[in-house]
Amino acid sequence: MALSPSTTCDFHSSPISTSNASDVSDNNLQHFFVLHKAPARKCERKSSSTYRRTKRKIDMLLSSPIKDTQEENDAIYEQLRLEAFENTWSKINSTVKEVLREINLTLFEEIRQWVFESFSTIRSASPVHMMKPYPIAAGATCKRIPAALIFTKNIEFVDDMLMFQDLKGYMQSNGCHVAFLSALDISTKCGIGSCLRSLYKQLVPEASDVVDVPLIASWYCKDENYDKPIAVIIEDMERCDSAVLADFIKMLSEWVMKIPIIFILGVTTFDALRKLLPSSVMHNLQLCKFTLESPIRRMDSLIEYVLVRPSFGFFIGHKVALFLRNHFLRHDGTITSFLKALKLACVKHFSGEPLSFLCPGMLHDDCEAFWSGKCESLSEVLRSYAFDLPSCQRGKTTGDNNLSQGLSKLKWLQNSWSSVLLCLLEVGKLSKIQLLDIFCEAIDPTLCSGWALGQQLLPPLTASHDSVNGGFISQAIQKVRELPSDSLCQLLGQWSLHTAEVIEMDKEVKAVHSMINLPSDGHTSKEKQTVNINGCLASSARKKGKPFLNDEAAMLLVSLLRKFLVPIESVPFHEIFCFKDVSSLKSALIGDPRSVIQDDLLKSGEYLQSTSCSRREHVLSSSIHDTAIMYSLAQEYGDLINLHDWYHSFKTKVLISNPKAKRKAQHSPASEKGKSKALENEVSIQARFCKAVTELQITGLIRMPSKRRPDFLQRIAFNL
Amino acid sequence: MDLNAFESLAMDEEGDEEEEFGFSRNYFLARELGSSSRKKSGRKLSEIDLVDEQVLRAAVSEIRPKNEAGIEALLRSYKDQYSKWLFVLRCGFGLLMYGFGSKKVLLEDFASTALTDYDVIVINGYLPSINIKPVVVTIAELLQDKQQCRRKVSTGNKQRTQQQFNTLSIDDLLTYLNEEVEDVKDSFVCLVIHNIDGPALRDSESQQYLARMACCSNVRVIASIDHVNAPLLWDKKMVHTQFNWCWYHVPTFAPYKAEGVFFPLILASGTAAQCARTATIVLQSLNPNAQSVFKVLAEYQLANEKAEGMPGNTLYTKCRERFLVSSQVTLNSHLTEFRDHGLLKARKHSDGQDCLYIPLSSEALQKLLSDLG
Repeated sequence: MALSPSTTCDFHSSPISTSNASDVSDNNLQHFFVLHKAPARKCERKSSSTYRRTKRKIDMLLSSPIKDTQEENDAIYEQLRLEAFENTWSKINSTVKEVLREINLTLFEEIRQWVFESFSTIRSASPVHMMKPYPIAAGATCKRIPAALIFTKNIEFVDDMLMFQDLKGYMQSNGCHVAFLSALDISTKCGIGSCLRSLYKQLVPEASDVVDVPLIASWYCKDENYDKPIAVIIEDMERCDSAVLADFIKMLSEWVMKIPIIFILGVTTFDALRKLLPSSVMHNLQLCKFTLESPIRRMDSLIEYVLVRPSFGFFIGHKVALFLRNHFLRHDGTITSFLKALKLACVKHFSGEPLSFLCPGMLHDDCEAFWSGKCESLSEVLRSYAFDLPSCQRGKTTGDNNLSQGLSKLKWLQNSWSSVLLCLLEVGKLSKIQLLDIFCEAIDPTLCSGWALGQQLLPPLTASHDSVNGGFISQAIQKVRELPSDSLCQLLGQWSLHTAEVIEMDKEVKAVHSMINLPSDGHTSKEKQTVNINGCLASSARKKGKPFLNDEAAMLLVSLLRKFLVPIESVPFHEIFCFKDVSSLKSALIGDPRSVIQDDLLKSGEYLQSTSCSRREHVLSSSIHDTAIMYSLAQEYGDLINLHDWYHSFKTKVLISNPKAKRKAQHSPASEKGKSKALENEVSIQARFCKAVTELQITGLIRMPSKRRPDFLQRIAFNL
Repeated sequence: MDLNAFESLAMDEEGDEEEEFGFSRNYFLARELGSSSRKKSGRKLSEIDLVDEQVLRAAVSEIRPKNEAGIEALLRSYKDQYSKWLFVLRCGFGLLMYGFGSKKVLLEDFASTALTDYDVIVINGYLPSINIKPVVVTIAELLQDKQQCRRKVSTGNKQRTQQQFNTLSIDDLLTYLNEEVEDVKDSFVCLVIHNIDGPALRDSESQQYLARMACCSNVRVIASIDHVNAPLLWDKKMVHTQFNWCWYHVPTFAPYKAEGVFFPLILASGTAAQCARTATIVLQSLNPNAQSVFKVLAEYQLANEKAEGMPGNTLYTKCRERFLVSSQVTLNSHLTEFRDHGLLKARKHSDGQDCLYIPLSSEALQKLLSDLG
């Protein structure tokens, strides 16, 4: 049974009226107007006491199945789903932030050290008059501002904004004054005044709008401000106005002894910086270079921590994962757009899946109790919905009729999947395979039949590793075979950490680990001695055990994969946790007005099918939207449309589709009545023509005639 | 990347590439067609027996949309999605509606049926000029009202009156809108923007302000676009972190009634004379002071029909007397606005002085004045 959550509120009671334009026409010409205000009771309801009341109602609903009206139940379930989303996403979001911050931490520390070194250099160079704003230093050597260049590895700066914000926080908490200037502050329109104002406002929040450099100098001379360097972060230098930026740097360089400013500049390449600033200004900067981690590395960490490691109660299906991978690799390669897509997937899941409010159960320690509590109070509709899920139907042969047990089993399977995938990822890191690729392969539902069912059918993996799923996983297995024993030992150590929670796995891993550990431990001291005497001997001793141990490890990995790498899409009830609707995600994420609006016009009939217009061709064409007729006529022209011809073909088309009018126009031209009718007809056709052209102009599909070519319109979009 | 992955990627994208090929092929085909058709057809617009502009305008306003039932059914079919839209909105995304047809009725219907629990402000982005600051001030006031209602404590203390909001800079206002309200979830002001790609909002400054407004924690945006190139208005930062769009394809095929008013008719005699109606509409979209300045000029012109125009300084003195403007700068800004919309022209008086006049006939002016009221 397909249950749609869209029944939650009844918006259907009133039809949308397209004709009551007269009463709102006043509003149409207002720049803006307040359509309505929230009713006062909304404020009340949102106040904590009534929030509690709603909460109680939800609890009641969950504790005992209430036979309330369907609509009210639906609204409450929707509220539950919304809360579940907020809960899940806030956890994912904080993990993302944490992971990204971790990656940058080493860089931040390097920058901090450098900033303080530069600060002390400035201090040591100017011992006199430091505590007074005047006089400013005159020597050329003293006019260089230390500047850290952070090379951002992205074409798009959007990913780095978060990093710069984090850096700001880091520097602030480590004893710096920090100001953050964006390209908007450093623009021709606002000039240098706006840079200074923004700088000063960030240093002194209660400052007035009037500001000059001596004012900043005297602020800095105060005792409480004096001991700290001032770090000025400019996140995206290339977007700044070069002239204003050059002036700003020149001016500050005059004051560097009084106001020890240290720049932190985000820039893509060194050449870009040289192009931006004249050499005289470059001379005022004392550069030091730092480099950010690559987006791919960041992405790998995100995959590991957000999609593999913990279960937040939200998973993505194979097709969605492939889409996200392609979106990242081919769209713009930014983490930001990847995260946005992930969030949108999450929203779509919680808004579309009626049982998604069960997702947070994944995070509970005693998840079975949590779920059984919720499942008991499920309404009959939802219960039958759960057992009608395709995945549940498939697994019905087992006769498992308990929802909460099914969910717990799913959680267990998911945990094992996650553990074994983490083992794979460890190998991936060693062989430089992207985690995103391994991840996409590991959630492929066809994998399930390949690994589990084909256990007997597949040839021994030692013989033809390439035939197993042909991709990254088999590469990883091969890598295990080739690892030197030290790395193999380390790898198994990592594996035993990852598999510690799944007892069955843990045993197998420990067994192999000890096998590898024992001989190597026994050998180490001896080997060291042997190496001293004769290097060849030691290496040959090691070679003997190597293939055996590597094969053992590889076999272990294969057997773990076969037993535990069960993709979520092959587990009963996975629909509750797993988002699979890739087409809805795609359409919500990437709107393509350029081709879609043209498509609308060319296929208007599909949207406007009414009951009356499906009989004959000309009847159909009479109901086609005027603008759609005009646009399909325009397809016959090149990039220029002759107005006269276009008008006449439109007129012909309209008259053909309206035979009555045509007959009148043809047969009674002589009579007065006929003439006036024909004129009336002509007027209305011209009016319709004008209106359609205006509508095409609004959509931007055509451009109005230029003075040079008054009789031609220009087509702008071509997507026949 | 290994070969397999590359192939799988290539297969995924094959469709897209084909589309791209098709696109470029179509473009060149069109160019070719264009050059050949230009040779063939040089027919002039004047060969059509054009009707009078007034008649044409009247006829345009009387066109009944074809297939009203179909349009209505289409609009009704979107009602099913309202609850999902609301859900997405509550999760922090902005809604962006696109597809052919006016979405004005659809958005306002959505706002007045599904967003009844929230304050809703509507911006008519299709108008030729829009000032964003009053919108921000109004949103700030609405938020303040809500907070006061929530606090239920004496309103005397920290109350910021309207006057105070007006004096704040737009940056300070945005900071106010972005302030987190403790203990309160799901309380925001909805901003409906018809045609966020409209002529008055196309400049980057307006879009920046809208984007900054959209990312305030207490504001949610529901917008519509009609232009095929509208996405070019935004960079990655605006799209992903500020507007945070969730796209919806909702073709309505409803006539662009309000949106099309400001476009000249292609078969009308062109740019020569603005008729009274268009002038009225433009004037109505200006503020009352600007309207009064225009009235002063119109009244002078009607009283001195034979004069070449009204000298600039006379206009300034008259406007000052009536407290319509306080400085020449303010007056000039009004005059520029009139000039931009073709409502005002200047010529040299016989004594060398610059004169201002309205390029409309006396009848049109009289009608205009009576329309303005």
